[in-house]
Amino acid sequence: MKLRRNKLLVEPPAGASSDIAFILIIFFLVCASVQPEQGRPQEIPKSEEEPDKKNQSQNPEVELTRTAVILNGDPVPNKSFAPRLASVLARKERKEDKVVVLKSRKDVPYERWINITGLIEQAGGIVTLQLEEEQAHIVN
Amino acid sequence: MKIPKRSFEASVPSMAMGDIAFLLLIFFVILARAQDDSHLRWEPAAEEELEQAKNYKASVVIDVDSKSYLNGRPIAQGQLAGALTDLLGNAEQNKRTVLLKVHKDATAIHFEPVIEAVSKAGGEIHHVLEKQRK
Repeated sequence: MKLRRNKLLVEPPAGASSDIAFILIIFFLVCASVQPEQGRPQEIPKSEEEPDKKNQSQNPEVELTRTAVILNGDPVPNKSFAPRLASVLARKERKEDKVVVLKSRKDVPYERWINITGLIEQAGGIVTLQLEEEQAHIVN
Repeated sequence: MKIPKRSFEASVPSMAMGDIAFLLLIFFVILARAQDDSHLRWEPAAEEELEQAKNYKASVVIDVDSKSYLNGRPIAQGQLAGALTDLLGNAEQNKRTVLLKVHKDATAIHFEPVIEAVSKAGGEIHHVLEKQRK
């Protein structure tokens, strides 16, 4: 014999809906606020008002253009740049001598700059920038 | 003869509490949005090995139009060093990180002065990049 069940309408408690909405908002907020912050730290020596020209002339100089890398006046293919710089830096013992002066042309894109400075750091160098206006100043 | 005052019970309707909380939340979200830089358009450059940034104090963005922003607000490059010095204050050495989000095609004439400004302000630069696909 089949027993008939009583069908009761069960409503969810409406008082809790605002709490559920609140928790959902918090969840979506936390998800939305996670932005990528991965990258590469870079140590750049604090710039001086008047660069020490005597010291700077002993440091390796890298000139960067859109297509070429020039190390101490010699154009170097991109692939052999890192080993060439590493061999130059290997001869230097003091930390201040491992500072590499980077002169970038105005039109060098950031992605290329990041790749080359990465190679300089991998070779054991510390990047210091020589900006366009400073370059003009030294020439004058 | 003293006439006793009739006292009325006034209570805050508790049903509206959820709505009030919701509106407050929207208000604070909009306030927070004004300071972040998620609305800016820029594409990160790629790098093989990446590190997570820790304890950063400020973020500088150079967007696709090569305009610079400090914590989501437009700023002239000449004012950046001063503004960063104020922001970093007397923070400890390992708590002076500045996130640098530069569009991958931005040119040296735009990003090098920014890097110099961070350096002048005594900030530690952390370039925000994406993982290089092999």
